Amino acid sequence: MCGLAGVARREPSGVSIDMLDRMAAAQRHRGPDGSGRYADAQVGLAHVRLSIIDVAGGAQPLGNEDGSVLIVYNGEVYNYLELASELYAAGHRFRTRCDTEVLVHAYEEWGTRMLDRLNGQFAFAIYDRPRRTVFLARDRFGVRPLYYSISNGDLFFASEVKALFASGEVDAALDPVGLDQVFTFWAARPPRTVFQNVRSLEPGAYAIWRNGELHHGRYYSLDYPEAREEHPTDLESLDALLQSSVSLRLRSDVPVGGYLSGGLDSSITCALAARQSPFALRTFSVTFDDPQLDESAFQQLVAGQLQSKHHIQAIGAADVAAVFPDVVRHAETPLVRTAPAPMYLLARLAREHDIKVVLTGEGSDELFLGYDLFKETALRLFCLRQPQSQLRPRLFDRLYPYLDARGRRGDFWRRAFLDAGSPDDPLFSHLPRFLLTSRIKEFYSADMRAAVAGTDALEELRASLPPAFAAWSPLNRAAYLEMITLLSPYLLSSQGDRMSLAHGVEARYPFLDTRVFELAARLPASSKLRGGGLREKAILRRWASTVVPPAVQQRPKQPYRAPDIPAFFSSGAPVPEYVQDLLGEANIARTGLFEPAAVRGLVRRCKSGAASGFRESQALVGILSTELWHRQFISEARLEPSIVEAGGR
Amino acid sequence: MNPTEILARTRAYVQETFLYTRPDFALGDDDRLLQRGVIDSMGVMELLAFLRTEFGVVVADEDITESNLGTLADIARYVMQHQPNGNGNGRGGS
Repeated sequence: MCGLAGVARREPSGVSIDMLDRMAAAQRHRGPDGSGRYADAQVGLAHVRLSIIDVAGGAQPLGNEDGSVLIVYNGEVYNYLELASELYAAGHRFRTRCDTEVLVHAYEEWGTRMLDRLNGQFAFAIYDRPRRTVFLARDRFGVRPLYYSISNGDLFFASEVKALFASGEVDAALDPVGLDQVFTFWAARPPRTVFQNVRSLEPGAYAIWRNGELHHGRYYSLDYPEAREEHPTDLESLDALLQSSVSLRLRSDVPVGGYLSGGLDSSITCALAARQSPFALRTFSVTFDDPQLDESAFQQLVAGQLQSKHHIQAIGAADVAAVFPDVVRHAETPLVRTAPAPMYLLARLAREHDIKVVLTGEGSDELFLGYDLFKETALRLFCLRQPQSQLRPRLFDRLYPYLDARGRRGDFWRRAFLDAGSPDDPLFSHLPRFLLTSRIKEFYSADMRAAVAGTDALEELRASLPPAFAAWSPLNRAAYLEMITLLSPYLLSSQGDRMSLAHGVEARYPFLDTRVFELAARLPASSKLRGGGLREKAILRRWASTVVPPAVQQRPKQPYRAPDIPAFFSSGAPVPEYVQDLLGEANIARTGLFEPAAVRGLVRRCKSGAASGFRESQALVGILSTELWHRQFISEARLEPSIVEAGGR
Repeated sequence: MNPTEILARTRAYVQETFLYTRPDFALGDDDRLLQRGVIDSMGVMELLAFLRTEFGVVVADEDITESNLGTLADIARYVMQHQPNGNGNGRGGS
């Protein structure tokens, strides 16, 4: 895995090598194994490399035979061997064994239509010198990031936003509407970011810079052509595709490890990897001091069955607080959960054991309706069909079994679901979550309220939905919303790419193989949610019966969570100095985004141990991370030290 | 403790606990706490703990209903009926 950066000027006014080196240095953690750059009068490309395939070759920027086409690339195209054969038959000749060169020839052969043929997780920039164009593209589900900014008529692009700022030609400023989206959806929605004039290329999209203008296109859109009933061969297809998907993701010239949460999905990916890997599998798990969060018993069970070399990252509350500033710096956005912090530490552990590639189970919950949110949607629909029923709402008491039992029963609990919106609303499934998250906005200062007045994050989302959305079933609408609002911009980014690449570790996602997604999207809802909507991932469980231990195959979904308020305020432990400083009235007033009196009330309740529930925990994490982010990127931003290394052209 | 005092203490608690972000929020005695976004189901847990420590009233699971705890006035009425030194026996669900 790697980091890319570059600039394409409107006029051939020159590109400084120093600037490219600064941009590369700012994201050096993504590619500690090497770096390179290219510059002419109009275009500059920079790259930092994490060597995984063709370790000896494959330095970037990499060109075709005559250097007329150059690429900087971050990611993996898993079907590169098949593409290379096809291109070889068409007359292309290769100098390396790496997938990067395959992309160059694919571009020569097929132009932008090459994207239809790629199975992988990638972001790249291809400079076509004769045409004087720069072609930017990103994978279908948004695994790999690509940001850009147009400043003074010139295009700047990079894997991480900090590289754009390191150019010295893109200014860092808050986009209050982007922040408001974080406090609605957990992340800003691409193309918007929390930075003004910084855009994220959308998943499944591309852009071409030509004559000083950026032209946008889309090569892939999520679709849910749901069948009426399961086809007899669906289980067989699922088996073949998961085997193939894992097999492709084991293509690597360095050992591949596995993250093991103890849940069904990562147990599947680890089990398949253990069967297929030529190396002894190493597995990595997070354990928690808090037994309500801990899944170590299941992790041990799976690791024992796989006979993997198992490594544990134990997480106490103080560990989260200790790394949280680094987590925010790498995530480059405010957060409403601390859950990325343990993933940051887990990647560090993997790297300490010389593992630079890991498989994870991410994506399965979105494809096979694993989250409680999907059950909640099914139950809300069920109850609203017979609003007079006294019995149906009792089913809500069976949701979210990991929360305190007394809080999730009775009138208040049930009414919260029943009153949470109409099925006619396109956002029906997600309104409870969106409205709960939006309660952070109660802490906004008058200035912040004024800055977002007239904007409505929910209305903008409704307006952006594709025409096909209305024809999908309510559960597929929910799955789509989950993919675009949470999976891509939060789980794969803040909690995924940024945390693993902070330590030079590449995560690979077998469930996010396009073919697996498209199979899941075709399956009827009854193949996923069964038992009156209360049993998740049905077909996957059936398939997994011979792959994972029965206790794991049968266990209900347990969401991955990390300590929030206790990470920063726990009895007997001092509040970390940076937390006191950032949440202090002077700093809150200086930043001006939140109301000092409200934050004072929150801190008082956190200190006394009274603060609890999602409402206050997300407010604490949201406000603290915003203040950290603001200090790191806006108010006290500084450029990373520059590096100059050989390897450029 | 008389109803006025119970109501005043409960109001102060709700304002300090759930409305510290909204000092200008006008909460009437008969306003629905759930519908007006003051208390959610997890907030009810906190409220139950308050009723126990402040008034010695333990609310039984089956009494956690909107008719008993839906408004400040409902809560005061419930506490009056169930407080150890009042008309009740200190335990709900009678």
